[in-house]
Amino acid sequence: MTSSSKPPFPALLKWPALASVAMLGLSGCSVANSDAGAASSNTVRVVLGQEPPTLEACESNLTSTGVVVRSNVTEPLIERNPQSGELEPKLATEWKATSDTEWTLKLREGVTFQDGTPFNADAAAFTIERAVNSKLGCNVEGYVFGDADLAVKAVDATTLTVTTPEPDPILPLRLSFLEVVPTSTSATEKVREPIGTGPYKIEQWDAGQKITLSSWDGYWGDKPAYAKAEYQWRSESSVRAAMITSGEADVAMGLSPDDNIGDLGVDYPNNETVALRLDANEAPLNDIRVRQAINYAIDKEGIVNSLYQGKHQVAAQLVPEGIVGHNVELKGWPFDLDKAKSLIAEAKADGVDTSAQISMVVRSAQFPKITELGQVLQEQLSQAGLNVKLKMLETSQHLTYQVRPFPDDEGAVALMTQHGNQAGDAAFTVDQYMLSTGAQSYFGTPEFDAMIKKADAASGDERKKDFEEIFAYQNDKVVQFAHISHQTGIIGKAKSVKYTPNSSSGDELRVSEMTPAN
Amino acid sequence: MLIYLRKRIVSSALPLVVVIVGVFALARMTGNPASLYLPLNATQQMRDDFTARNGLDQPLLVQMADYFGGVLRLDFGQSLRTGQDAAAMALRAFPATLQLAATTMVLAVLLALVVGCWAALKPNGIADRVSSFVSMAAASIPDFWLAIVGIWVFAITLGWLPTSGVSGAGAWVLPIATLLLRPFGVLVQIVRGSMVSALSEPYIKLARSRGAGELRVVTHHALRNAAAPALTVAGDLTVGLVNGAVVVETIFGWPGIGKLMIDSILQRDFAVLQAAVLLTAVAIFALNILIDMGYALLDARVRPVTVKA
Repeated sequence: MTSSSKPPFPALLKWPALASVAMLGLSGCSVANSDAGAASSNTVRVVLGQEPPTLEACESNLTSTGVVVRSNVTEPLIERNPQSGELEPKLATEWKATSDTEWTLKLREGVTFQDGTPFNADAAAFTIERAVNSKLGCNVEGYVFGDADLAVKAVDATTLTVTTPEPDPILPLRLSFLEVVPTSTSATEKVREPIGTGPYKIEQWDAGQKITLSSWDGYWGDKPAYAKAEYQWRSESSVRAAMITSGEADVAMGLSPDDNIGDLGVDYPNNETVALRLDANEAPLNDIRVRQAINYAIDKEGIVNSLYQGKHQVAAQLVPEGIVGHNVELKGWPFDLDKAKSLIAEAKADGVDTSAQISMVVRSAQFPKITELGQVLQEQLSQAGLNVKLKMLETSQHLTYQVRPFPDDEGAVALMTQHGNQAGDAAFTVDQYMLSTGAQSYFGTPEFDAMIKKADAASGDERKKDFEEIFAYQNDKVVQFAHISHQTGIIGKAKSVKYTPNSSSGDELRVSEMTPAN
Repeated sequence: MLIYLRKRIVSSALPLVVVIVGVFALARMTGNPASLYLPLNATQQMRDDFTARNGLDQPLLVQMADYFGGVLRLDFGQSLRTGQDAAAMALRAFPATLQLAATTMVLAVLLALVVGCWAALKPNGIADRVSSFVSMAAASIPDFWLAIVGIWVFAITLGWLPTSGVSGAGAWVLPIATLLLRPFGVLVQIVRGSMVSALSEPYIKLARSRGAGELRVVTHHALRNAAAPALTVAGDLTVGLVNGAVVVETIFGWPGIGKLMIDSILQRDFAVLQAAVLLTAVAIFALNILIDMGYALLDARVRPVTVKA
């Protein structure tokens, strides 16, 4: 009854075997040709959460790009000290406002780019023109400079003037986001591998596998301790942690308290704040008592202690300590479920539909334990008597809720947001999150807008005071936010390396600050 | 045979086109990538510029026509994320997946043949029961869990293998072991089933009565006839591996096509997603043809009846 044809028995094995051989042969560039680990003491091995899409200098405020490129490959004119918050000289040695709208910068002499060309005012001017005034669509343009075009002029080789359309007291801080590139860089296209003035240059980028930096002999500053830095990426944080414990990597970024890394995990303040942003255009969130009730109903202490092992801090505002404008007087709303219930009952008695559904929009995998946090918040708000539906979305979908124009058929939305404060000044927060037309703001008031505009134009102590008032006013009169916690980041660090992370390490991991332990 | 081949090619090409068109349309229904690629406070003007620059303001049919026009000229577009040629990115990632899938399947088939035959020799014997339990378990363990446990046991606790990556031969062990279990489990059951029925056939008794040794009976007589179903299933499983190594590649940082697809989906990197899907679909299409041809070679019943002159 079976076939009388003659399939020789070995054919059965031949098929997969042949296929296998053919496939192995086809792929001339085998994946197994890498050197094994390269655990030599002059190479520091770093593992990131994702491969940088590009190392383009004007995209360096993207975390995955900046963590490799900033102050390793390229350098800014001015840099912000992550500990003190003060601005310090880098490629510019001094700067001052020479009129309401003009700043003059003196540039460092004797600095050379990695391609051998000298750094001068032309290169600095070119960098600003390219990143801020061009049509490249650089991330740094929208993030730091908005739409404002700057007029830049190289007065002589070491003097640069920058003129802003409006008075801008924090222009030097904004300039600290620009990584300087030579005039030979394309002005019409983004480049994947930039040339800079930093202590390291890009040696090789094996797409999909790793990036290698090697120290550059012509660097103007101190020679770094490590001759090379190797970057790999693994999306699972447990795998990144395991690479530290198994000796495959020296530094691992973005770990979670659950990764069981023990003593090899180093905490650092990562400048991120978690909050719920409440949409006051729809019932029941259109009543301030309901928004206040949400603040009372969230047990922030409990969340910080149980979900984050006490490593986070309860937040009372969007910016943590150390950011210009942080108001030390503000305390997180006390957890008071009875008060929450009575506020909701009051609103209901006045005709607010407190049973209307609130969509709590949460981005999956945005930070450790975010799913659990969403579930806890849903439960706590339900206890207070609100009808909350949890919506877990991936990044792209989440962004449609995060940024204007918002979806308008959703009913009331409470969006979980993780706000970064890498810029160091509250202006970068309130303009986006609190102006009534802010890109990430659901609402505001004309009075509040006026306060924000005033603070933006102020400088020195007055600026700090103005922003402090803004945060107090939001908690008192606006209540667009239910703040939850200021986060703490965890970096995995093998015993072989000495390195102390700071609040900017998540965005700018300086290899030159790392030294071998022995 | 050629007619059969042609028929198979035509009938398999249709799903290929459907997949490509489907991915193209579905990707665009997930929204404009502008929000991902532009800063959060980008102006409407910046968004409009981005949309127009990437041709996303055109009607879907126009975009699709452009895309197919490009494909005919072997221009698959550029990655939004990296600015690189989309086809180059897909081609660079594909061999890594093929190597993983091919090695896994060779090992799975070999192991399954040995264990399956061994189990079939004495139905309901100890060997049969043990292998049945093991193969059932192997076929049902989730990849994700297995990968993490594998890393925990072999990389962290015992320190025998690297956690992930592509450096050295050791790096292949955990990804392959993770991928191997399911096809192995399924194939053991197929081989065992067809071997049990083959071994009870009259011609086996005849062979035994003629004094053939047990090994010869199994390998030369029974296995030859029990092979076809196992081959077909092995083919299907290979297709699944090429397509579904996503979890394993993601966890182990294996730079293959599965990881590239997931990254492209999350990043709304349409051109790379399309190139990766197209390449995978073509590979699966070719693989299916090979499987059918192999099956037809093994089993005459599958072949179409052709009139002989």
